[in-house]
Amino acid sequence: MAIIEVDALTKRYPLPSGKGGTFLAVNGISLRIRAGEIYGILGPNGTGKTTTLEMLEGLTDIDSGTARIDGIDVKADPYAVKKIIGVQLQANEYFDSVSLTELLELFAALYNRRIDPLELLDRVNLRDKANAKPASLSGGQKQRFSIACALVNEPKVLFLDEPTTGLDPQAKHNLWDLVRELNHDGMTIVLTTHNMEEAETLCGRIAIMDHGEIVAEDSPQALIMKYAPEPPRAPLHGDIEDVFLALTGHALRD
Amino acid sequence: MTPLQLHLVRVFLKIFLRDRQSIFFSLFFPALLMIALGFANSGDAGKIRLAIANQSEGAVAQRFIDSMQTDTMFEVTLGDESSLRRGVVEGDYRLLLVLPPEFDVSQTAVTTTDLRLVVDAAQVRELGMLMPLLEQKLLDIEREFRDMSPLFSLAIEDVQARSQSYLAFLLPGIMAFTLMQLAIAGSGFNIVEYRRKGILKRLFVTPIKPSDFITAIVLARMTIVLVQLTVLLLFAVFALGVELVGNYATLYLIITAGTFIFLCLGFCLGSIAKTQQSIMAIGNLVIFPQVFLSGVFFPIDSMPAIIQPIATMLPLSYVATAMREIANNGASLLDIAPSLIGISVWFVVAFVLAIRLFVWKEVAN
Repeated sequence: MAIIEVDALTKRYPLPSGKGGTFLAVNGISLRIRAGEIYGILGPNGTGKTTTLEMLEGLTDIDSGTARIDGIDVKADPYAVKKIIGVQLQANEYFDSVSLTELLELFAALYNRRIDPLELLDRVNLRDKANAKPASLSGGQKQRFSIACALVNEPKVLFLDEPTTGLDPQAKHNLWDLVRELNHDGMTIVLTTHNMEEAETLCGRIAIMDHGEIVAEDSPQALIMKYAPEPPRAPLHGDIEDVFLALTGHALRD
Repeated sequence: MTPLQLHLVRVFLKIFLRDRQSIFFSLFFPALLMIALGFANSGDAGKIRLAIANQSEGAVAQRFIDSMQTDTMFEVTLGDESSLRRGVVEGDYRLLLVLPPEFDVSQTAVTTTDLRLVVDAAQVRELGMLMPLLEQKLLDIEREFRDMSPLFSLAIEDVQARSQSYLAFLLPGIMAFTLMQLAIAGSGFNIVEYRRKGILKRLFVTPIKPSDFITAIVLARMTIVLVQLTVLLLFAVFALGVELVGNYATLYLIITAGTFIFLCLGFCLGSIAKTQQSIMAIGNLVIFPQVFLSGVFFPIDSMPAIIQPIATMLPLSYVATAMREIANNGASLLDIAPSLIGISVWFVVAFVLAIRLFVWKEVAN
């Protein structure tokens, strides 16, 4: 059953030149995302991935078309949608001088909930940083903390905007494990990425966007069979990332 | 207040209080200003610095000088004309009185001796005030030497009879000015900072309502500003010995209302400005004219007539005037009704503007 239904979603932005005129950031896309899947939106920078996500999250106005999450129209009732989604944005800075525990309590309060911050920090492997300030975290830790913040309301759908951009391989694999774990517990996860490996190994289905349109949508395997110019050759000795990980180990370096 | 608003207020209080550096500097500057002004005007405050170049050998000249030196209203310096003249130019003395060689009174002569007064033309207004004092002095001495008793006696009293120091006069203005700066910086600069960090965007994807957010920041910042002003007030009263005559509850009512106005105006500026640089520029555009036009340091009466009506209607003018009336003259709320009306109007205008301009979706992006 589709938990996210998107029909002819469109967003226009004024041209940066300021001389009037608009360009289509998202050009009438339609999507069905099933409950309990990991869905990836793939594409080069500036193709409308983030804009699409922001329209679903209620951050950006929908110019035309509709988006429904768990049956709720995003345009008509953004507050009801916000209550059932969790969001990790590309920017992950928080208030200075407030500890992780205090921030999690704050986010829970925004949903009118009480949570055990330590339990949540356990889930993202950050218990020992409970009293640390966000600014002191490494890139991978920041991303995991952002996900912890997005989990305070036990969302039905979790949106991740380029969650592994800028992370080292250890942190990246660790984050994928976390995403799989959350998905295993039944959470629907929608993420954007331009990391091919992430799309291929993590996502159940992917949509490839270009110039504001979806140019292909299917499972990674099906897409490879259909579009890859020749059957993928299995590299004899793995790739350079396997070398990197073999030499530097799988342990997190945060 | 809802539990969420309460929680948010507590979080923002923590955030603001942990920013020790900015709290220190927000108190440091006004305190320094008060200390400087306190020293500059301590002791000889109000004395008129008078230079006398005595070219006469006569007893009358000596008698006149003695009389001036014993007068608490004057601080007399003696010397030769040319060096004292320079002193007047440099502002060391308000005026120079030259007693010519022929300055003497014989019992019989009826000729008049001309005394020369050397003053800076810019101080010509003060001259009008000082002339009667000097004439009275000369008349007294003349009568003494001619052994005449006066027909009338006009006793001139020190006009600063209320024994109020300049600092006491200035304190409410400094406090009003400080509360404006703290409030505008407190809300406006924070909004821009939170937007830059993406915090506003992150909050916006949660079900928080803009009004909850504004309420929480305003209340938390208000608490901090009230504490900061109280520290300044205590410092002025206990460390600098400033005496305030007014009712403290009334004073704090005005302070609270003023803080609210400037917090809301800060919110407006933060919503309009897109970058840290532009909030600085827009902030100064709002702050600076008010510093000069709101009667904080100079009375509004002394400004050009065209500017006066505008100056009077500035929010800081109403707040500073009301605070000064209360603190220095013990005015009641009824006495300051005109200021209260101005404050109320600004209160509503600033609040409505803040709510209108803080459109979360636009401000966050």
